[in-house]
Amino acid sequence: MNPLHHIVVFLILLQASVLGGTFQPRFLHSKSSSATTTPSPVPILETSLFPQVTTQSVIRVNSTNQAYDYQSPWQKKTPYGRRGIGVLIGEGRILTTADLIANSNFIELEKAATAEKSTAVVERIDYECNLAVLRPTNASFLDGMAPLALDGKISIGDSATVLQLEPNGELARTTGRISSISVAPYPLENVGLLVFKLSTPLQQRDGSYTLPAVRDGRLVGLLMRYDARNQTADIIPMPVISRFLDSGNLIIHPGFPRLGVSYAPLRDPQLRRYIGLNEPGGIYVTKVTPKSSAAAAGLREGDAILAVNGRPLDQEGNYEDADYGKILFSHITNTLTPAGGKVALKILRAGKIEVVSVQMQPLDRSGTTSPSYLADQAPPYFILGGMVFVELSRPYLQEWGPDWAKSAPQRLVNYDAFQDELPADRGKIVVLSQILPSPDTLGYDHIDNVVVKELNGRPVKSIADLAEAAKHPVDGFQKIELEEDPKWLFLDAASIEANRAQLMKHYALPATERL
Amino acid sequence: MTRLLPLVFALCLSAWAHAAPIADSLVRIEATSQEPNYKTPWSPGEVISGVGAGFVIDGDRIMTNAHVVSNARFLTVSKEGDPKPYTARVLHIAHDCDLALLKVDNVEFFNGTTPLEFGGLPEIESLVSVYGYPIGGKRLSVTRGIVSRIDFQTYTHSGMDSHLAIQIDAAINPGNSGGPVMQNGKVVGVAFQGYSGDVAQNVGYMIPVPVAERFLKDVEDGKYDRYIDLAISYQNLFNPAARRALGLEDDDSGVMVGAVYGGGSSDGILRPGDVLLEIDGYPIASDGSIRLQNGVVPFTEIVERKFRREKARLVILRDKKKQTIEVPLDDPWPFTLQGNAYDEKPRFVIFGGLVFQPADRNFLNDHAPTNQRLNFSFDFFVEDGIYRDREELVVLGNILPDPVNAHAGDFRYSLINEINGHRIRNLHDVAEAFARPEEYFVIKTADVGPPIVLDSKAVQAARKNILKRYGVTSEQNLEK
Repeated sequence: MNPLHHIVVFLILLQASVLGGTFQPRFLHSKSSSATTTPSPVPILETSLFPQVTTQSVIRVNSTNQAYDYQSPWQKKTPYGRRGIGVLIGEGRILTTADLIANSNFIELEKAATAEKSTAVVERIDYECNLAVLRPTNASFLDGMAPLALDGKISIGDSATVLQLEPNGELARTTGRISSISVAPYPLENVGLLVFKLSTPLQQRDGSYTLPAVRDGRLVGLLMRYDARNQTADIIPMPVISRFLDSGNLIIHPGFPRLGVSYAPLRDPQLRRYIGLNEPGGIYVTKVTPKSSAAAAGLREGDAILAVNGRPLDQEGNYEDADYGKILFSHITNTLTPAGGKVALKILRAGKIEVVSVQMQPLDRSGTTSPSYLADQAPPYFILGGMVFVELSRPYLQEWGPDWAKSAPQRLVNYDAFQDELPADRGKIVVLSQILPSPDTLGYDHIDNVVVKELNGRPVKSIADLAEAAKHPVDGFQKIELEEDPKWLFLDAASIEANRAQLMKHYALPATERL
Repeated sequence: MTRLLPLVFALCLSAWAHAAPIADSLVRIEATSQEPNYKTPWSPGEVISGVGAGFVIDGDRIMTNAHVVSNARFLTVSKEGDPKPYTARVLHIAHDCDLALLKVDNVEFFNGTTPLEFGGLPEIESLVSVYGYPIGGKRLSVTRGIVSRIDFQTYTHSGMDSHLAIQIDAAINPGNSGGPVMQNGKVVGVAFQGYSGDVAQNVGYMIPVPVAERFLKDVEDGKYDRYIDLAISYQNLFNPAARRALGLEDDDSGVMVGAVYGGGSSDGILRPGDVLLEIDGYPIASDGSIRLQNGVVPFTEIVERKFRREKARLVILRDKKKQTIEVPLDDPWPFTLQGNAYDEKPRFVIFGGLVFQPADRNFLNDHAPTNQRLNFSFDFFVEDGIYRDREELVVLGNILPDPVNAHAGDFRYSLINEINGHRIRNLHDVAEAFARPEEYFVIKTADVGPPIVLDSKAVQAARKNILKRYGVTSEQNLEK
């Protein structure tokens, strides 16, 4: 085997464990879990039994997005525009991808035929499943238009049509075939949910690949990304869309239920013999995320999961799905089971077969040390005499560019990568991100990206802790203890207070804190 | 493969009054060495040859750079104007300051040579001449330049030691290494490293006399000990608030102790937050410098000139009170893993085709692993006290594929935590764990994943085949 192959595989494993979710790493390098067919050369014909989708059921979504600058958190980065096509789903609502409107400042709906416009607000958004529902602020804007039927059925080898809009407002239809169905990572959260792959040659027309895919006049999914080289579109399919739409009237979608285990295939016969496994399939639990559904049900590292809801798993964790063939069991736990529902796991523990009932809940992210995304959220910060403090997050590290895992400060990368190994009460990692030089910070200007332990003798586990501790200087000094060199920093409490206005003016800071 | 050794300067100035005796004392060194490859640690390594320079000093000895004669298997030396090669051997080698002394078996070699004498630290801007055998021809070459800077530099041979070094602006090229840098007929440095032309122009470095003399003094007892170290980090104290908070006057004195590395000389003696005011009577400025006869140098230069078991006398300010303390100086043990090592055999244990190795600098140089946990543990081995749990970073360094280990691939470069419940702190622990009679060997790594399980009967059955298939001559080597 190529040794490099092992390295890559291993890194992915690590990353998967960081996310602490049910996303399992294998399918990044193995297609064995997805059923694949080669598209046949038969000409593709649109069936005439069903009415064609018209411009009355789709609408342009123009979003102006602006993300925060995590290194200078008092400001935002350059705004940019994105365009996609949303789908009318009834009750005056539009379905689109979350990715299209992440960090949006301004969303506009535009009718294809008349170019008539209305602003829109986000009614529901979930970055895990990459879906969002919009509502026009002009309540009668969509009157007279026709919602699309949401009961499209499709399986491998079937054709589907991707809808795009021409500049003249006409629909451009490109048809392809579904080549595989598998559980694969979604872009923003990296959670594994069902994905359809559609082989089709698409042109770049609308400024993004957020586009509807239809069959027989019904929606079969939304495109979320397109690989132009391989001419393959990844589609969010109806089972995922239905689960998203079904979950009540919450503005923030509660999220898909997650089991909360990392696992490895049980291919090694020596390992199988060692744990006393005589059945053919099964996977090995390598980690249970604290406070997850699996943890609540008492699942442990070292358990082997043999079946989910009575469906046996193979050595890779796939079961035989009635609709989609061989796919990962996480489709049952994450998508087919609603939040609050139960799944039955048949496990092997200490040589004995047991059945464990797991009540499925979304992952509790409230205690997350370094969140993997912060879309639409203003990052907290605190500035003390020119020292800028922020909370560690993946978006902060991503400011070092695509190669951030190598180029960002390694202590911070390590905290992010292995955050689920930290003590449960670790809280946030507060980072002295940079120093805006001022008379108060004379001699400190070479210090950046160091982790704060205490301020004025008080432990710092969030920006709020830091702000509170800053109210209690010791002997007239703000005394900062760092986890690493230079260990101690001191500021004159009275002097930084006196110089605050000057500092704000000098660096054009709108505020010295956001808690 | 012939390789010109990194940097030597040599020069032959016709106008130079002492040119003739200097040429008589110059030595061209041809080294044949064998560098082990940590990917195949059982193999003796590739044979390579190189050329460097050296010079004769008292006691019929030749001084050169450690990197000229590292991993040497066969050495010959020849004098300028005398084509006859003589075989030589390494008498002492100091990898932490890149110096070595050679002995020539046939003492006739030294007939007609004059031992060179050492001068002192040259003045900034003063002229120096560099002698050696750089690329561009076979015979002696001389270049000339001025002293540009005197400061601490990292010695790239070990990659982790910093000592005083003198920057000069003479042209430096591969093959210059080990040659003397002369001023007024005396050696003022040994040329040893520089930048390639695409990084910086006319920046070359020589090892100054204090470092060379320390080396000569260290080996007087017949063996070389390492440099010793305070094993602390320290911070400048420019900030007025920091000065007042620590109880200092506004007089630009003192530096603050940051980290005190466990197991080092200052462990249990200095504390983070202590202010160092004086060392051996020299006042320490707020940038950590002291004033010596020849100018301003970092205060650590005082420690640099000392030897094992000597003491440094420090005046410190702790909790705003002055006190005098003594630090007995010792080896900086945990650091050595982070430096390039030479003249060592790779250590390893092979079991069931799995190759266990300590991940030191040499290992990382050859493997360039991408395992985040391993790389972090290496980088922060000392700073975060990781050495307290692991004397060395034992990893699964390689897999010699065989059905018995077909499923261990995902664990390459993982740190090894346990074998059958026995904690692995060093490579010896691995050898011991596998020597126990067990039905299964269960190997747990520091990374997320199932254990690696080896059926001992299957391992025994596969053993000979694996060794034969991959040309492995030995299943383990535990000694350097």
